[in-house]
Amino acid sequence: MTLAGAFVFRGPRAAVWELLHDPDVLAAAMPGARQLVRTADGRYEGVMKVGLGPVTAAEFTLVVTLIDEVPPDRFTMAIDSQGTLGFTRGSARVALAETDGPATTMTYTADLQVGGRIASVGQRVVESAAKAMTAKGLEALQRALDDRLARAREGAGS
Amino acid sequence: MSTVSDRVPLHLVVNGVAHSCEVEPRWLLSDVLRDTLGLTGTHVGCEHGACGACTVLVNGEPVRSCLMFAAQADEAAITTVEGLAPGADDPLTPLQESFRAAHGLQCGFCTPGILMSMTAFLRDHPAPTDADIREALSGHLCRCTGYTNIVRAVSDAHAAHRR
Amino acid sequence: MPPTVGKRVPRNEDRRLLTGRALFVDDVRLPGMLHVAFVRSDHAHGRLRSVDVAAARARPGVVAVYTAADLGGYWQHAPLLVPPPPVPGLVFHACTQVPLARDKVRYVGEPIAMVVAESRYVAEDALADVRVHIDPLEAVVDLERALEPAAPRLHEHLDSNVAATVHQQTGDYLAARAAADLVVTRRFWYDRGVSAAIENRAVVASWDPRAEHMTIWDTTQAPIPIRNGLARLLGLAESQVQVIAPFVGGGFGPKIMMFYPEELLVPWASRQLGRPVKWTEDRHENFVATTQERGQLHDAEMALARDGRILGVKDVFLHDTGAYDPYGLTIPINSQCTLLGVYKVPAYDSAFTAVFTNKPIVTPVRGAGRQHGVFVMERLLDIAARELGIDRVDIRRRNLIPPDAFPYDHGIIFQDFTSLTYDSGDYRPALDQAAELIGYERFVRDEQPRLRAEGRQVGIGIVNYVEGTGIGPYEGARVTVEPSGLVRVATGVGTQGQGHFTAFAQIVADALAVDVAAVRVVTGDTREFHWGTGTFASRGAVVAGTACRAAALTVRQKILDVAARRLGVEPERLELAHGRVRVRDHADDPGVPYGELAAHANPLRGAVTSGVEPGLEATAYFGPDRGSTANGVHAMIVEIDRDTLLARITRYVVVHDCGHLINPAIVEGQIQGGVAHGIGNAFYEQLVFDEQGQLKNGSLMDYLLPVATDVPDVEMVHRQTPAPGNPGGLKGVGEAGCIATGAAFAQAVEDALGGRLEIREIPLSPNRLFELLHDTASPGDPA
Repeated sequence: MTLAGAFVFRGPRAAVWELLHDPDVLAAAMPGARQLVRTADGRYEGVMKVGLGPVTAAEFTLVVTLIDEVPPDRFTMAIDSQGTLGFTRGSARVALAETDGPATTMTYTADLQVGGRIASVGQRVVESAAKAMTAKGLEALQRALDDRLARAREGAGS
Repeated sequence: MSTVSDRVPLHLVVNGVAHSCEVEPRWLLSDVLRDTLGLTGTHVGCEHGACGACTVLVNGEPVRSCLMFAAQADEAAITTVEGLAPGADDPLTPLQESFRAAHGLQCGFCTPGILMSMTAFLRDHPAPTDADIREALSGHLCRCTGYTNIVRAVSDAHAAHRR
Repeated sequence: MPPTVGKRVPRNEDRRLLTGRALFVDDVRLPGMLHVAFVRSDHAHGRLRSVDVAAARARPGVVAVYTAADLGGYWQHAPLLVPPPPVPGLVFHACTQVPLARDKVRYVGEPIAMVVAESRYVAEDALADVRVHIDPLEAVVDLERALEPAAPRLHEHLDSNVAATVHQQTGDYLAARAAADLVVTRRFWYDRGVSAAIENRAVVASWDPRAEHMTIWDTTQAPIPIRNGLARLLGLAESQVQVIAPFVGGGFGPKIMMFYPEELLVPWASRQLGRPVKWTEDRHENFVATTQERGQLHDAEMALARDGRILGVKDVFLHDTGAYDPYGLTIPINSQCTLLGVYKVPAYDSAFTAVFTNKPIVTPVRGAGRQHGVFVMERLLDIAARELGIDRVDIRRRNLIPPDAFPYDHGIIFQDFTSLTYDSGDYRPALDQAAELIGYERFVRDEQPRLRAEGRQVGIGIVNYVEGTGIGPYEGARVTVEPSGLVRVATGVGTQGQGHFTAFAQIVADALAVDVAAVRVVTGDTREFHWGTGTFASRGAVVAGTACRAAALTVRQKILDVAARRLGVEPERLELAHGRVRVRDHADDPGVPYGELAAHANPLRGAVTSGVEPGLEATAYFGPDRGSTANGVHAMIVEIDRDTLLARITRYVVVHDCGHLINPAIVEGQIQGGVAHGIGNAFYEQLVFDEQGQLKNGSLMDYLLPVATDVPDVEMVHRQTPAPGNPGGLKGVGEAGCIATGAAFAQAVEDALGGRLEIREIPLSPNRLFELLHDTASPGDPA
């Protein structure tokens, strides 16, 4: 399954880069994420609870490893998520480009392999569910970015 | 993790006999009929509502018992295949007789569900054509018979009933 | 009494099935019974690094969790079920399945750990507690890719994914090709699916430590070999193990696969725990854990003379055997042999490579590889007919084996290890009759042009097939008259819906002059009868039925002898009718009931005549030298909707020859059911695996089985060319309905589409037809 797209953040690139590396923000933004902890440099581990179409929500472990980082330009994430109902494995390449605003255009391409029960029973909804989860997550990240930028302005102002 | 204390009471009348037991909320009606009540005539083929083998009548209506939690059937009157000719020496219903005469079953695994569906169907449809019967059967999967003799059995039962 | 063989006798077993009183394996309930769920691989290929079951073991309600390490010496590769036939130059690598994965997983669904708990619900809960660490490896599912040098290798002690290579030939194909006026060369792809019996598999085992006896209920088509194999593996005497296949909800082949991991483990667990243990497969598991029949890729060519006579056929094909090959080469050998069909093929050169892939294990499903051969041959003939300007039915007529040529030896080896020889057959009248019945000439000349002018897409297809049935090695039966007068028949085959309880009763009832309902047949219980192999390859009625007949005839003679001694008359003066013996032509003599004679022949006191056996009982065995050859013709008319590309079959005709019929209703039921199965495989069913071996449609929501509105009423004609190899002249019919359906479908759909498309693959579907009509991708490539 290939998932590709773009999202425009309202905010400078440096702030977006920081946001994308903050495990607490990511945990809060990712739909179904229960926990995300930085366990080593560039490595995050956590737990998600996700349902898919006819498949009832169940727990998946999640390990994200950041590789090929070129701050604040781009990075690649290796993703490995497993649970009783299957697994998702693959990588996502993320690139950030600063534009007027300031705004940051994030482009992403993810190549994911889905296996186990979510693949054999949830096939018809896997792609649309993944897109929906990604969209929700990005919107949540935007809100987190708004908060962070607002607090920074207040801090600077006071 | 559910424990025995999570069970809920269940009152059912099955084939005219009242039963009271305790079930976990997640237990399927098909499992309770088969395992708790020992009525193994209702068969489970898929557990996702596609094959129809588990069909029973709940308050007279055909229901896929694998898609229903037992707890949802509290206070219901259920008829299973064992309720059609309850005693070992009881005569078969006209529908059952027609199946036998028309060779409408081979391995017999899907048959109880079809009998329950068709019992309700014939009750509710006074003048079914073969096409109506086929349409009504399209919610049941049979891998043995190729359906021809099942349609004939239902049609013959209808004719017998009218006589 | 008039004979019942040949009559539509209603079935003895139906009352129990209709009232929900028939015992299927999942109905077995024993005190203290435990329930099993399996942790299965989510990866099609990978190194199994670790399996952590500690949390699962700690869950309340879980009694035990086993991994490969826990099995100790019991862990071993399962036995090879069918050794390769004696074809010169054959190469075969036996790689059979293991009870629980160790070191490596090779297909999605391969069992890794077994959880035993107080209920199936708790056992499934515990699956989430098991932590499996697999390092994924690249998987391979495509047959050609699997043979590339750099392909991921499933069995690393081999230097490739080749499971076998087999080359058989007769005549001189190269000479035939050189002399040909036309050579047709094509690539064909035949895919199949799951057998989808409505009852999934199940095993219940109960080890009684006091009696030192293991009772196993198993949805198997082969209880006796299962008993013998399990006894050996468990270190028990054969007599300590009883395997019962009670009512089985459809077999269709995968239930003859033996020594499935679950079959090996459930009895072992019962022995370990001293409690009964049950495992019932759920439908989702069935898609990966029960064997299926998979793809073949054929590069075939046919050399013909201008008048349509076949000079030779050459076929090179790849056969997908899945991750392991416990069933040997039965399927591709069947494909290789069945391709020849009803035709004279002077030169034949057929070579196949069986290939390991990261998909579920492949073992026979109804048809067992025959449909692949029929598809290739019939498609080549259709294409040749078109290119030579010869009518499709005429080209077939010109190539039929003539009726005086039997027994007809093709000179190649068949799945029963003997030379492929057709014992009998009369093909021309069958073909003509089918063409007549479906109105072939009238359709092509009048109806089709008329309907086409109205813008409708209608087509007709007509194909031949031959089916080797009734093969050995042997079966046996014991017939007993009880003092009550009840006649009891026990045989080793099982029954999965094909009516043995009635068909065998008819055979015995006729021999003994009793009512069919007075004959109680027991099948599939090793305690009742423990010699034989099982139901497969359309052989049950032929082989076991013939043994029943032989045993019954011996009992008949015993009845006459005992009665003769008792009545003081010569046996020749006695006659049997309605379960009684009386002196011939003494109409007012009520006669002596058999039961009384049976009691008389089993005295509690006194002396018995030396050399005489007690009671009225006999056991007989039948082992045919070779199988008996059934054949048939399928014809269909189909309409393809212009917009939806949905297929509607308006007529389906089967003219078939299975020798003498024991019970026409049962035979017709087998054909109607087989055609439905064939229609499913041709148009609705397809297993969709992705490149990493993940099954994308593993449920009945997405894997479509035909329903009542998809299947026409088949018009049938029974021809009877008796088999010379058994006294009843019987041939098998269990698979007849589904062998030719794919070929008929392809021809009819191609015809309906008016030549816009050449169809070289099965299954089709509305999606696939759309793709083929609008794509430039070459048909015959895997979809």
